[in-house]
Amino acid sequence: MSHDMAADVAVSMPDPLPNDRPSNQITNGVERNEDVNEPKPQIPRPKRPNFAQIHAKPLPLDVYPLPAFIPHNPLSLVRIAIALISQSFWPPSSQTVIHTGYFSKETQSVHVTDAQSIRALWEQGFFGKGSLSRSEPRWLDQEKRKRGLVASLTSEEATRLRREERRQFKLERARKEREAIEQQLREEGKPYPAIQDEEVSVESDLDKSQDSQLQASDERTEGVSPIPTSDSCVVADDNLRRELEEGKDISTQIAEEICQPDIQNQEHLQLTPEEAFFLAHATGALQVYRNNSVVPSSYLLRLFCTYSTFPFSEKAEAYMDTIYRLTELHGRNSIDFSETGAMAPDNPFILRYVVYLHFRSLGWVVRPGVKFAVDYLLYNRGPVFAHAEFAVIIIPSYSHQYWTETSERKAEVDKRQNRGWWWLHRINRVQTQVQKTLVLVYVEVPPPLDEEHRMFHKLNVGDVLQSYKVREFVVRRWTPNRNRD
Amino acid sequence: MADYDENLSHLRGPSAADIDLDDETQDFRFLSNLPTHDVKDLTLPKRGDKDFESHATSLQLSTLEASRQAMHNALSWPRIHTQKTHLLATYHPESNMAYVKKAKTQHFQTLGHFKAGKNWLLPEEALFMIERGSMDCRWPVQVEEGRTDIIVYDGQEENERGVPMSLQGAYAAFIGFEGGVGGKLTLEMYTVYAGLKRAGFIVFRAGDWDDERLPIQYNEQDARDGDKVKSGNWAFGFVAEIWRRLSRKETEVPADRLKCGPLLGSGLYRSYADIYRLLQVIPTRDRNAPPELILPPDCSNPFRITFDVYKTAGAGKFKKSTRGPPDYRIAVVNARETPVPTMAQLNDLLATTPYDPPNPNGNLYQKLRHGSRNVILAVVDNGIPSYIRVGDTPFTDEKLYKRLGRGPPRGKKSGRGRGRGRGG
Repeated sequence: MSHDMAADVAVSMPDPLPNDRPSNQITNGVERNEDVNEPKPQIPRPKRPNFAQIHAKPLPLDVYPLPAFIPHNPLSLVRIAIALISQSFWPPSSQTVIHTGYFSKETQSVHVTDAQSIRALWEQGFFGKGSLSRSEPRWLDQEKRKRGLVASLTSEEATRLRREERRQFKLERARKEREAIEQQLREEGKPYPAIQDEEVSVESDLDKSQDSQLQASDERTEGVSPIPTSDSCVVADDNLRRELEEGKDISTQIAEEICQPDIQNQEHLQLTPEEAFFLAHATGALQVYRNNSVVPSSYLLRLFCTYSTFPFSEKAEAYMDTIYRLTELHGRNSIDFSETGAMAPDNPFILRYVVYLHFRSLGWVVRPGVKFAVDYLLYNRGPVFAHAEFAVIIIPSYSHQYWTETSERKAEVDKRQNRGWWWLHRINRVQTQVQKTLVLVYVEVPPPLDEEHRMFHKLNVGDVLQSYKVREFVVRRWTPNRNRD
Repeated sequence: MADYDENLSHLRGPSAADIDLDDETQDFRFLSNLPTHDVKDLTLPKRGDKDFESHATSLQLSTLEASRQAMHNALSWPRIHTQKTHLLATYHPESNMAYVKKAKTQHFQTLGHFKAGKNWLLPEEALFMIERGSMDCRWPVQVEEGRTDIIVYDGQEENERGVPMSLQGAYAAFIGFEGGVGGKLTLEMYTVYAGLKRAGFIVFRAGDWDDERLPIQYNEQDARDGDKVKSGNWAFGFVAEIWRRLSRKETEVPADRLKCGPLLGSGLYRSYADIYRLLQVIPTRDRNAPPELILPPDCSNPFRITFDVYKTAGAGKFKKSTRGPPDYRIAVVNARETPVPTMAQLNDLLATTPYDPPNPNGNLYQKLRHGSRNVILAVVDNGIPSYIRVGDTPFTDEKLYKRLGRGPPRGKKSGRGRGRGRGG
């Protein structure tokens, strides 16, 4: 049911915006020469889709609340009773749909290729990122717009428009400033400086540099989408597509045909290892495939840990392959691997996942924050509703006595914990610039897992996760002059 | 719509709150508006704007000239010591302090302590007064043996005969020569002290700097609240327990599901809150437990609260004998020698600050930004302090999933254009 809804929404996204908007914008800008300081005439913004309805579910799971009890309506009690009884005889599952994903070593992510799963995972909890989009998988819509077919304005386009608007505004402002100076010079009876003749000097130096920055960044933004279409990714994508097509049933094919009359969607959803592990291990709404079989959580944990450091350790890689083949051959619990390489307790994947799960379990929508120099961004409800308020940086903490028992260990730990203030200030400066609050999340690293955990088949994911402890500190700049009274 | 990740504007300057006016060169014309004679109604002047680019207009040049002149006039204002307010202090080498016999200025409302008929000034206080030009400090006179009485020559007291202490001499004498670790007062501490004093704060040493760290501060209020719940509501708890059993709501993930996942069973769940409750498996610090120290007491731990800072707002009523709790607590660290604190160091530092919960009626973000305990780190790099407020924030106290459907809180920052200003 959720899928039908998702598909509907994707098809019926309104497009209230005329195509010729950019050109309008520019002519507007030229006509508004006289008064830059006046409030800009309100450009009719496209009506937003009903996000509250689209993203009603915070996780890709269904819930079955009891009907409301209305005191003055005794019949409501009957409804509750019916719901209770029917659900106890035929209990529905909260995991209505189990999505499938494929681990890709090359991109270190889990690919989801089914169109409905992509929509569902994005809409219900904002998981993943479109492989050809900035964030929400919108490649198809963009493509349709390019070819003049109906689709709504994508956020990438909105950004481009806004930048153009802003640029025009700045050119205007610079021109006004220059005119004021010219007027002043005329009043003082001085000749205009020579550079005034050039048409280019409209912009002041400051503006010029900022504009060139802006253009550069625009180019970069546009450059973002072509990058993943490099050959390797296309190949991977095709492979996935083939895999998908084998298992695809007719109904989805029909749904896709309705969705995409002529363009084939080249995009898939990529989940970060943390997102994939959360969906698989915590919610059970995702099954991750390696080749043709579903891998269990304990294997997945090891797999993600192995690929979380770069370059990958070849030995660990080979080991993961061996385990995989052996489990295929012998079934899961019958082999004893005493030779397993120990998982480092401060493996980046585990640290990241512990923090990810911590904030997810409190209800935050956690998204990667590499563009803001941090590990995660915390959204309230989701990125379509509001900007992220908090930016999270993960710092491993080695306060367990194991780490200071010997002097070599202590030296090693001191080295790992040595972070300069310049590092912190850099990050914090970025956060103040984008009006976010920096949160330092210290993850207490336990001593290495004991022997029994090293054995692969006994790896207790819950125990591993619960041996870590998180603690948050909020960091802000403090300015004496603004806190005096 | 997607994330507004890339919408980070390259055009917007930092918000007004982040601009430290001290970092910039200003238009100093405001100084000429200062009343030159009537000291009584001296108020802090408003600063002017900054002009960035030179263009050949006479208007700009004259403005610049006027600004320079104003600065010059302000600086050339004669600063004089009248006989009436001339403040004479004597250096006391044994304690590395200075004493004043007669406190003639208002400074002593926020400085020094009175003992045995003299006003004693701590090294930073003495140094600040000397640097400010408000105090004339003298080296002590070598008293010959057998002559302990105060001799009066020509109406001069003994301490007036001492050699005046130069500013260089004062720095050399006062910094790093107290008994204790690292000479106690370091240059970094003095930089912060003087900076805050000049900015108009009232600053005192936190504790007496003799102990390794301040005592732990427990939150009494929390303990009391906990008792109330326990004693008063057992009947309610009983009913709740029965209801819990009847509704068979899972409150904990069974061990086998924890081991292999998924954490959620394949059954049905009545609400997302139930689901989120089950997902909470990562342990955090128990916020109700009293704060405890992790590191052993160690004088070399660089993170110790150095100064108690008071706002000037209530300066009229300020009494240094009954100071009350400070508005801010500042720990001074050297940026070049001390790395970013570890969790244990922050924990121990914050355990010595009082429990300071946010306003319970504030919005979610405000509460989280405030934290339950806080401290200000003054990170000094070669004389330039940078202040960072660190708050111990219990994210687990504000369960966001209980607010789902309510929408994010709107602060005063609302009304921003779509995506402009900040991304993400």
